[in-house]
Formats: sequence, C-alpha cells, structure tokens
Amino acid sequence: MTARALAAWLGKRALGAVLTIVLASVLIYGALRLVPGDPVLALTAGRRLTPDQIEAVRHRYGLDQGFVRGYLSWAGDALRLDLGTSLNYQTGVSTLISGRLGVSGLLIAYSAVLAVLFGSVVALVSAVRGGLADRAATVLASVTTATPPFVAAIVLLSVFSVGLGWFPATGAGTGLADRLWHLTLPAVAMATATFGVLARVGNAAFAEELRREHVEVARSRGVGGAAVVRRHVVRNALAPLLTVIGLLVAGLFVATAIVETAFGLDGVGSLLVSSVSRRDFPVVQGVGLVAVVLFVAVNTLTDLALPFIDPRVTVGGLGR
Amino acid sequence: MLDDKPAGEEATTRRDALDVARLGLTLGAGDGAVPLLADVTLRVGRGETVGLVGESGSGKSLTARAALGMVPRGARATGRVTVSGVDVLAAGRRALRDLRRTRASMVFQDPRASINPVRRVGDYLTEGLRARGTPAGAAAERARELLGQVGIADPAGAMRRFPHQFSGGMLQRVMIAGALSTEPELLLADEPTTALDVTTQAEVVALLKEMQRARGTGMLFVTHDLDLAAAICDRVYVMYAGRIVEEAPGRALFTAPAHPYTRALLEASPSAHGDRVAIKAVAGRPRALAESPSGCSFRDRCPLADDRCAEAVPAHRTHRASAVACLRPELVSP
Amino acid sequence: MTLTIPALRARRPGFRRRPLGVRFAAAFLVLVAATGLLAPVLAPHSPDTTSLLNSLAPPGTAGHLLGTDSAGRDVLSRLMYGARFSLIAPLGVVLLAGVAGTAIGLLAARAGGWVDAVLSRGMDIVFSFPSLLLAMLVVAVFGPGLTAPVCALAVSYTPFVGRVVRNVAIQEGARPYMEGYRVMGFGEAWVTLRHLLPNIAPVLVAQSALSFGYALVDLASLSYLGLGVRPPDADWGSMISQAQSAILQGSPWSALAPGLVVLLTVVSVNVLGGHLGGSIGGKKEGT
Repeated sequence: MTARALAAWLGKRALGAVLTIVLASVLIYGALRLVPGDPVLALTAGRRLTPDQIEAVRHRYGLDQGFVRGYLSWAGDALRLDLGTSLNYQTGVSTLISGRLGVSGLLIAYSAVLAVLFGSVVALVSAVRGGLADRAATVLASVTTATPPFVAAIVLLSVFSVGLGWFPATGAGTGLADRLWHLTLPAVAMATATFGVLARVGNAAFAEELRREHVEVARSRGVGGAAVVRRHVVRNALAPLLTVIGLLVAGLFVATAIVETAFGLDGVGSLLVSSVSRRDFPVVQGVGLVAVVLFVAVNTLTDLALPFIDPRVTVGGLGR
Repeated sequence: MLDDKPAGEEATTRRDALDVARLGLTLGAGDGAVPLLADVTLRVGRGETVGLVGESGSGKSLTARAALGMVPRGARATGRVTVSGVDVLAAGRRALRDLRRTRASMVFQDPRASINPVRRVGDYLTEGLRARGTPAGAAAERARELLGQVGIADPAGAMRRFPHQFSGGMLQRVMIAGALSTEPELLLADEPTTALDVTTQAEVVALLKEMQRARGTGMLFVTHDLDLAAAICDRVYVMYAGRIVEEAPGRALFTAPAHPYTRALLEASPSAHGDRVAIKAVAGRPRALAESPSGCSFRDRCPLADDRCAEAVPAHRTHRASAVACLRPELVSP
Repeated sequence: MTLTIPALRARRPGFRRRPLGVRFAAAFLVLVAATGLLAPVLAPHSPDTTSLLNSLAPPGTAGHLLGTDSAGRDVLSRLMYGARFSLIAPLGVVLLAGVAGTAIGLLAARAGGWVDAVLSRGMDIVFSFPSLLLAMLVVAVFGPGLTAPVCALAVSYTPFVGRVVRNVAIQEGARPYMEGYRVMGFGEAWVTLRHLLPNIAPVLVAQSALSFGYALVDLASLSYLGLGVRPPDADWGSMISQAQSAILQGSPWSALAPGLVVLLTVVSVNVLGGHLGGSIGGKKEGT
C-alpha cells in the first residue's frame, strides 16, 4: 500500500465516523424538540424554577432560536466539553460523567476481558477438539447468547451473592482489589451474552481456518500441533474475529445501564437510567453523546486495524 | 517383478527413498466400509524420478499422502509404507513429525491454497527448518539461498513479501524451495503444475527435475498427464480405481503400453497424434475402487474384456518392459 | 407478504423431520403465546390480587404453582398476563421494522445510484446507534410507556432488515430471469413485487426472528429499568425488577421465574430463526 492510498483511506474512514457522530448528535439534540408541548416544560418537569432560570434554560438549549442555530450553539458547547448543567443535581454534566467514568470504564474493561478471554478459549478448544466438546460449546453458546444482562444479574445475585455469599450484592468497593471483587458479578453479568456470541462466531471462524489446505500442508511439513493452531489457525482467524469483538465491546457501553442498576453501582450507566426516569435532559443528552462517540470510535479503530492484521485486506478494496 | 521379493525386501527397504508394499486403505468399518486403495505396491529409489498417473479419484494423491502418514480421518491402512527405512504406518506422532521434518517433503497442487496467505513468504520457507530446531538466522540464510536456486530474483526482498504478491508460478517455486529446505530424501509432487498457467507449467516441471537431479532426491511425481510422466520419469506407475494396473519405464510406456487403460489414456491425449480431431476420450467415466466391478476394475470400460476378466483381480505379470495387471496384454501391444 | 407463503410452504418439510431442538423451540413459543392469549381463561388467579399474608410463598405452594411475589401475587398468573406485553410489543417492532426495512432495502436495490448510496449510508449510521440508547432517549422525551420505545426500536432495527434485503435483492435482481421479465416489458414495480419479494422472503423471516429476540430483550430491559410498561401493567422485565429486593431477602423464585421465561423465549426464537434462515433460504446475512 502506498502512503498516499493509506492517507486517502484513513481520511475516508475518519470522515465516515465524524459524519455518523454528527448525525447522531443532531438526533440527540433534536429529540428535545420533539417533546410534545413546550420543551422547557420537559426540561423543567416538576421542578420549580424562577422565570429567570426558565429563560436561561431556554437560551442554553437554543430554544429561543431556530433549529440549526440552536443545534450549532449546543454542539459548539459540546465540542468544548461543556455538556450543560444537570437539572437534578445542579452540577455540570461533564463533571457528573467524568466522576463516574472510573467505575464504568473498569466494569467495561473487566467484562470485555472476561468475554474475549473465555469466548476465544471456548471457541478454539471446541473447534480443535470437535465432537462432544463442540456440541457442548454450541449449547453453552446458544444459552448464554440469549441471556440478557438483567437475567444474568438476578441469577448471579441469587446464587453467588445471596446463596453462597461469595460476592457482595451492591456497591463498587474501594481500592483496586476490593473494587475488582465488587465488580466481578456485574462484569460476569455483562459479559455473558457477549461471551456466547463470541464463542459461536469464534468457533465458526476457527473451524473454517482449520479446514484450509495450508493447515494440512503445515502438518505435512512436520510442524507441531500447537504451532499449527497458533501460527495458521488463530493468526488467520484474528482479522474476522477482531471486527466482531469491536462490535461486541462497543455494545457493552449500553449494557452498563442495566448492570449498574441491577447491582446498585454509581456509574455512567445508572446515571443515564436515573436521568431518563427523572427526565433530566441535559444529562441524557450528554451521556448519549459520549456513548455514541465511544461506540463509533471503537468500531472505527477496529476497522482501521484490519489491514495491518490481515495483508489480504488491501486498503483500496477494503469491504465491511 | 512387483509382487514377490521376499529375499530382496530388506535390502530394498534400506536403499529406497520410498517403498510401498501392498498398501490398502479403507474408510469406515463393517457394512458401510468404503475401500479406497487396494494392494498398492510401488517404490522410488534414491535419485530416481517415478511417475504415478491416473484420473481423478484413482487414489494417486491418497497414495502419495500415505507416504507422509497423512491418512484420511477414520481410514484404516493395511500393508507397509517405508520411507528411507522408517515404517510410516507404524510410526507414532513424534516419529512421523521427525520424518516430515527431515526425510520427506511434498509439493502440493495449488500454491495459493497451500501457503498461509497472512504470513510472509520467508516465514513459510523457514517454518520447516525452524520446526526442527535450526536457528532463525541460519534458516533465513538457507531460505534466501534456496529462493535464488529456484529462480526467484531478489530473494531477500521476496522473503518479506506476502503470497498474494506473487504469481502462481513464482509461488509454486517458493513451495518447491520450501519442500527442499529440509534436504529430504523423498520429494512427493502432487500434481504440482495443474493449478498453473500452461506457459509456466513447463518451467516448474523443469525446475523440479533439475533440483531433483542435482540433489539426488527420490521423487514421486503424481499427475493425470501420462505424456508428461512418460517424458520426465524413469519409471511410471499407472493407477486405476485404487489399484496399480501397470508399471513400466517411461519411454517403454509411451511406445508400447501393455494395459488397455494405459493405451486408452495415451490415445485420449492430444499430443500423441497432434491432430485434435483424433482425440478419443476414455469411454465411460473413471471409477473409484468402491464402485468398480468385481475382477478387473477396468473391465466395464475395456473393449477387450470377456467373462474371464470378471473372475478375479488379474495378477501383475511381465509383458515386454511392463509389469501389467491384465490377462491379455499381448492384444494391447503385441 | 401473502405472495411469499405458498413458496415457503412448498419447501417446508414435516414438523416431525425437524431437529429435536427446533421442535422444542416451536412448541415452547406456541405454549407461551397461547398462555398469553388465553391468560384470562387459564390463569389460576388475578395477576393483581395482593395478599400480604401470603407473600413470597415458595414454588409448589398449594394454589400457587410458582409461588407468590413480595406482594402476595400469584407468579404463574402474572407470567401469563406478562406474556401479552412481553410478546406483543416486540412483535410490533418486528412488523414495523420488517415493512420499513423491506421497502427501503428494495428501493435502494432497485433504484441504485445515489439513492442507494444515501439509503445505505443512512442505514449504516442508524445501525451504529445502539438500539437501547435510542429507546431510552425517546423515553426521556415522551415519558415511560411502550409506544414510543416500540417506534424507536423499529427505527433501530430497520437497517437490520433493510441491509440484508438490499443485498439479496441486488443478487437476485442480477439473475438472468429478472432481466427476462424486464425484456418482456413488465414494469419495474411489478417485477419487484411479483418476483423479487418471494425470493427475499427467507432472509426476511430469519432476520425478523432475530430482531424479535433482540427487541424482546431491549423492551424487557427497559421495563426492568422502570422505563417501560407502567404499573399496574406488567411484563416479564418489570416483574424481575419488582422481585429483585426479594432476592436479597433469600426468596429468588419470583425473580428467577420470569428470568427463565425470558431466557427460554429468546433461545427458542434464536433456534427457530436460525433454523428457518438456514433451511429455507440457506443464504447468509450480507453485512
């Protein structure tokens, strides 16, 4: 690949990502304008505000201007990381989010590691061993795939928290070790469905690579079994799996809403849920925007990594 | 000549690069068992080029793969396969791996499918050497040397490129270099030119032959092209429906085929006559062992067959320069 | 849609020849749908009758096969009534998304050019917006309830159907017989509806089944978070939410029962959808 083609391709991917984020932000901003009646009433629902405060809110959301100008002023603030002020907490939305990002980030990373680790191992072992291991993995994958995080959460709570008493039921703990201990059940609950999808997709990918002729050729050259699997099966399945992993990990961002609520964790996800039910619009918009940006960023990064992992994926002819 | 050599067997075993004795291969067991090979006996001496010719499904690739101990999953092998004194069918996993790393290599049909597309060519070439413990530097040095020998310009640059950056012919040269990297005593070439452009086929064959001659490697050349085999091989085995039906020196086979099937194959080939109108396809379609008739497998397609051919599988017997499994070779080439 | 049914039926083997798992899945879904439909007749108790003296009875208690929840309501009866909301809402999502996705996918495939480019890019963008997030956004706007989330999820799942329909339509449209009809002078719309749609039916069925499972989970999640159905109505998600405090008191059954039903329903839908997609069409998702 020439540097020029690479630059052009990078530019195109980046442009696509920015376009997605812009359109998503229009949607997030525009949702406010869809509110039946006066949007200010939705923004202030149930809260007693002075006419001055109402006017400030109206101005803050550009409701005294047209849609386009209103959006531009809102988006301009968002670009400067000013996501407005929570109506409920009377605190800056950016401050609210960044204060909770630690717990949510750790939770996402923890569950991503669990899902990817166990998912790939189960996929690989079942594909290589075949037979009974393969069938057992298929059943396991189809059950876990269909387990929503809240169902996983109540099962884990019933068994490991209340039944066996191994893990705490609520709270995020203090200090890294304690925090990991507190976050174990939430992370498992979040990882369950992701694990299932990965085990199934990974099994298919590994099995496909195992059937390739060059795998048999490597065996015919006296390359040991483990080396064949590592160098010719895992290595070749990496690119297709990475795309799936990117999508799955991005999907975990939203799952935090459910799991943090289920386990009483004070993270970004539970902040979103409580803000939605209290109709604290600035927070909902802020969290939504952050989630979309992260979602798009992860997917774009995995896309960008592909040509470097798989030489067959040429920059010019890269498909989705 | 082929069948009974009880006295000389020990000696040939030690001398030959490949010695296959009464190899049989059956898939499955009981009523559902499917026979794939029966009574295959052939040998490849050191420094000798031996052809194994047959239509698709005749079992020629199975025979070649059995030499590396690559038997299809669920198949049961009988008889004996010896490569440079090592009993392949009885060898354990370790012994088999050592055999593949040091004594025998294979060049496969389709280089595009046979070389891992996501690894560099240098990685493919050194893999065999590294597997037996050669240090990385020495293996790379050896690989560059071999790439030069098989006619690839800029070996050092080629090592860093990926398979999709090579043409089919060049990639087949890479595979040949990879197969020779371990200095094998036996080279198995499984239709090495079938997947290539017509123009590059001759070059690859010439290269194989040259490398084989220079190194004194024994080569089993598997092909469906009888003319090609007759032209480049010292001896040729013709295979039909999982059995060897004729063995003869290359030149003799070309001029005086002793088995009706060999003769039909020769007549089917365009170059024998240089006149495309005269091409005669072998009547009927090729049979696998499992679906072939009793007695002589070829009898349902053979113009010379009569009731005697159905009685038993014909034993090999000498007719002129050939060892042939036919009751009436004199009718084929008087 | 009626056009597609004879085509499907012709290729459908008997129920008994299906794999065991598929038969179980189909039977379970029929059972759940039937109990939801006939809940007023079948349910042993009213789903809303509270009885504080009889709260958190374990499964197997006389008169309460699956026990009672913390308010003393019969869990089995609530499950039956809950099936109505739990199944009808995702069905609405699938119908809306199926119609919109088919229309957009066919339009993109048949129109081609910039129309296709704009529609495809648009579907990519909607696809990259997490569905649950969109649903929560509309709840923030319109308040709790199922109507707004159902519409939002329908938008979210439209590309899920639309992209596949587009790809299959382009493949099928390129076949010689389609060109034949055009040469014979049949109108573009007629050819599309009469001949393209039946060919798309298999992937449509498979994608719809998958979206149904996803939508069911999304909507149950919303209800679990207290953002979906409004009391006194209940679906499985809100039942779990209400029963969660009972887990900590050592009575997990009233939460586990609806959880298990959700799980089994989604497994069944996935098994059936995968089977239908594989056996009828044999075509892979083109994304």
